[in-house]
Order: sequence, then structure tokens, then C-alpha cells
Amino acid sequence: MATFERASPALKEILLRIYNAEKPIEVDHHLYEFGSVEYYIKSSASEPFTYLSISTPLLSQGVFLSYGLSPYTLQMVRDISIDALDIVEPPTDGYQLTLRLDFSKLPHDKESLKIITEVSSVQAVILSSQLKEMLQNVNSWDISQGMYKPIKLIYHPREPFYVIRQPQKIVAVFPMRFKDHSDVIIATSFFQELMDVGSSGKWAKVPHCNWSPIPPPELIGEPFEDLSTNGGFVSFDISSHHVEGKRLDKTVWSLLNFYAYVKHHVKCTRGFIQRRMRRRMDSLVQVLEKSMIEENGEIKKIKGNAGWKKMKKWMRLTSKSKMIKRRYHDFRKKMKRIRFRIKIHGFARFRRRWLTMPNFSSSMGYTQLKNNN
Amino acid sequence: MANPLKLYLTCVRNTLEAAMCLQNFPCQEVERHNKPEVELKTSPELLLNPVLICRNEAEKCLIETSINSLRISLKVKQADELENILAKKFLRFLSMRAEAFQVLRRKPVQGYDISFLITNYHCEEMQKQKLIDFIVQFMEDIDKEISELKMSVSTRGRLVATEFLKQFL
Repeated sequence: MATFERASPALKEILLRIYNAEKPIEVDHHLYEFGSVEYYIKSSASEPFTYLSISTPLLSQGVFLSYGLSPYTLQMVRDISIDALDIVEPPTDGYQLTLRLDFSKLPHDKESLKIITEVSSVQAVILSSQLKEMLQNVNSWDISQGMYKPIKLIYHPREPFYVIRQPQKIVAVFPMRFKDHSDVIIATSFFQELMDVGSSGKWAKVPHCNWSPIPPPELIGEPFEDLSTNGGFVSFDISSHHVEGKRLDKTVWSLLNFYAYVKHHVKCTRGFIQRRMRRRMDSLVQVLEKSMIEENGEIKKIKGNAGWKKMKKWMRLTSKSKMIKRRYHDFRKKMKRIRFRIKIHGFARFRRRWLTMPNFSSSMGYTQLKNNN
Repeated sequence: MANPLKLYLTCVRNTLEAAMCLQNFPCQEVERHNKPEVELKTSPELLLNPVLICRNEAEKCLIETSINSLRISLKVKQADELENILAKKFLRFLSMRAEAFQVLRRKPVQGYDISFLITNYHCEEMQKQKLIDFIVQFMEDIDKEISELKMSVSTRGRLVATEFLKQFL
């Protein structure tokens, strides 16, 4: 499972390797990451520049799919580093954006690491700027029936979420859907914990979180297929405090990855349950082994599934030993015949008469009486 | 052990001690066959009256005895949805590995969560008292394990929620 950090660790590692190399090195890497994100890094020894191309699913609004990046987004990307970074037009075939990096223009201190980390998080920058732009450009704001109209955003297909702008805050609503019933229960337990933790005094500064099994009133009027869920609706109240300065990027990134976060947690919990069940089963089997009757001073131990397998093996062995005995018997007969192949005429009769052991016991069982007459 | 649970388990233990008097008895209908009569139920004269021990509406134990076999079916406590799925998963996990337990039935009796089938052969191979101890301890451990699993899942959820909300600070 990919990390939830903004900066891609693999991309960061490659860029650092290129930056720290004493001589320019040849690099030609394709990176594929969770969420259909693709990076292409190309650097040659003959050229001082490194080219980074990126392809990522874009944030769509409603049914209108995004094609290409808006000037606002491109400007946000340029702002990562005005000196060392430039956008190449047109982008590499198959990618939405190509950047040209000049590592020689990076400062030789900790600032360079910061800039490289920002470049590694270019995907997060693109998505965040898209969301910011959408929120800024909403026709302020379509008010129908006294309520602000919700904006439907699609990042992952089949996982839309809603953003509703209100006077004092922005509400992000996530309809949750799961394939398995047990996933629904585990996720519901998580959402309840999220609500409990968020409502405690220690976490007053975080966005207020709410979960409900039914759609919130803000989504009245939305299509039925978008509102039919089995995991309920999770909503976050984002106030101005959460979008000030650098917090804006963190908040936007956390919201965009909420679905992936929940699904990762559910998957890990299922794995944890499975591991615990195995351990408990082993301890229960050990209790049963103690009830076995002792044979010849040793307790018969049947460990788990090996008991049945041992019995099968034993049965195979016994039939095998009979076969071996038969084969040995046949072999002995054959050897005897070979050894006694030298024939002497009359020897067989001689052997039968003089070389056999006499039978001392009478088969009739009585002695003949002498005739005295 | 809490008092109501202790009484329940003591009752089950005493019933098992009385019921576990099994002997070899070949099948009356098919010659040279030896079948657990409690499963077939074809000859009523070989079956004893089943005993149902209820701790409450949700927890009960059914003990069915015959001349050569004994069947114990358990219904485990499930207070909420989470305990429901945890109990279901765990008992299904054990049932699928029934050969490791020898006395466990692969499929529980209808209306119950897990079933054991003990035959006269098991009584010959294993000590009767220890077999009863195993059944009683199993009942205790199942309850404990499901409670611990539920608590662990909740604790994990809380930790993950805390980590998620930290990102907003």
C-alpha cells in the first residue's frame, strides 16, 4: 500500500540520487504508484537538465471530466521553485505535465532538500490547486432553496465526494460504500471512534467530524444513485483556521485521500483479526492435545492438521512394506533358481532320499502290535 | 469467572459427565457399518432426550446423546454487529480447520454457532474428564477471545483516527 505522504518516496529518492551524484548520470525511470499515478524521469550525462513527466487522474467536477491542467495549476507548480524548475510545452507524449529541473541552480544547503521534497509532491500540488480553484470559482454561490448547492468532485472513479460552501465553513461529505458487510461494520466502528476522538477537548482544533447512516440535509436533491450507500456519510467541517497558510495543502491532501485511508485501515484490521484467530486456534489445539491418553509413557501428539496427514502416511507405509516383502520373496526365489542352475542327473533323487531330514513323528499315531500267534 | 457464567459452565460440565457414557454400537441397518447414531437419528431407541441449557436468550448449549455418540452445539453471545461478525468469522475459521480438533464438526447445527461431535472412539483415545475440560474451557475462551478482539478492533480504530486527525494540526 502506498504511503499517504504528499511526497512520493521513490521519486524523492531518485531525485536525491541525481542531485547528490558527483558527475551527471544516465537515468531513465518509469515509476507507477497507487492511484494510477505514473512518473517518468529522464536524465542524461550530456545534458545538464533532468526531465520529470507526470500522469495522474485529475479532480473532476460532476460529469465534466478534466482534460489538461489549468493555468492556475501550472502557476502553482512553477511556484515550487522559480529558479530550478521550468514547465516544458508540450508535455511528453502520454503525460499531462513535463518539468525541466536544473539541479545546479538549487542552493547547497538544507533548502535544496526542501525543494526536492516539494518537487516529489508535485502530484499533491496539482490536485490541491485544482480543488482550490474549484472552490474559488464556484458561482457564489448558487443558492437554491436557501441552501448552498453542493459541488460533486470525483477523484477516484465510483468514489465521488461533495463539498458544500457555507458562510462560516466548508463541509466535505463522503458517501461511503463497501463491498463486504464485515467491511461496513469495521468501518462504522472506525467512524464512531473518529467522532469520539474529534469531539474531545484535546482535539478542538481539528475539523469537526460527523457520521450518519442517512444523507445529511445539505445533499437533498442530489441523484439517488450517489446517495445510496451501505457505509453511511462522513462529513468534515472545515473552517478558515484549517486552510490558513501551509495548513491548506495538508487539509486538502488529507481530504483527497480519506477514502484510501479508510480502505487501508479496514484491510489492515482484517489481517489483524486473521492473525489473532490463528494464534488462538493454536492455543486451543494444545489444550486438546493434553487430553490424549498416554501410550508407552509418551503422550500421542497430533499437531493441528499433521494428525490426519500422519495417518495417511502410516497407511501408505504399511501397504508399501507388504509390497516390499513380496518383492523380496520373489527375488529370493529367483536367486535360488539361478544358483542351482547347474544340473546333475539323478542328484535330485539322491537329495530327496539321503539329504532330507527324517520325520521322526508317525503320521498315523499308533504302533503296530506284534503277532504272537 | 462471573457467577452466572460459572453456574452455566458447571451445569454444562455436569450434563456432559452424565451424557458421555458412550460405547461401540454397530449400525443396525447396514451390516459392517458403524455410524454415529446422534447424527442419523434413524433408531429412536438408541437416542436419549436432548438437553438444552440456556444462560440467557442469546447463549445456549444443546447436548444430544445417543448410545455411541454425543453432539454439543453452542450459541455464543453476540451483543452488537461487531461481535456478530467477529464471532461468525472466528467460529467459521475454527470449523474449516475441524480436523485439527478432531471432535469439532465442520458445519454447526442449524440455529447454533458451533458444534462438536464426540464418538466412542474419541472416548477411547482421549481421557473423558480432560475432554469435558476442553469443551468447557473452549466455551470460556470463545467468549473471552471475542471480547478481546472487539476491544482490539476499537483500540486500533481509535489510534488510526488519532493519526488521521493529527494531520490537520
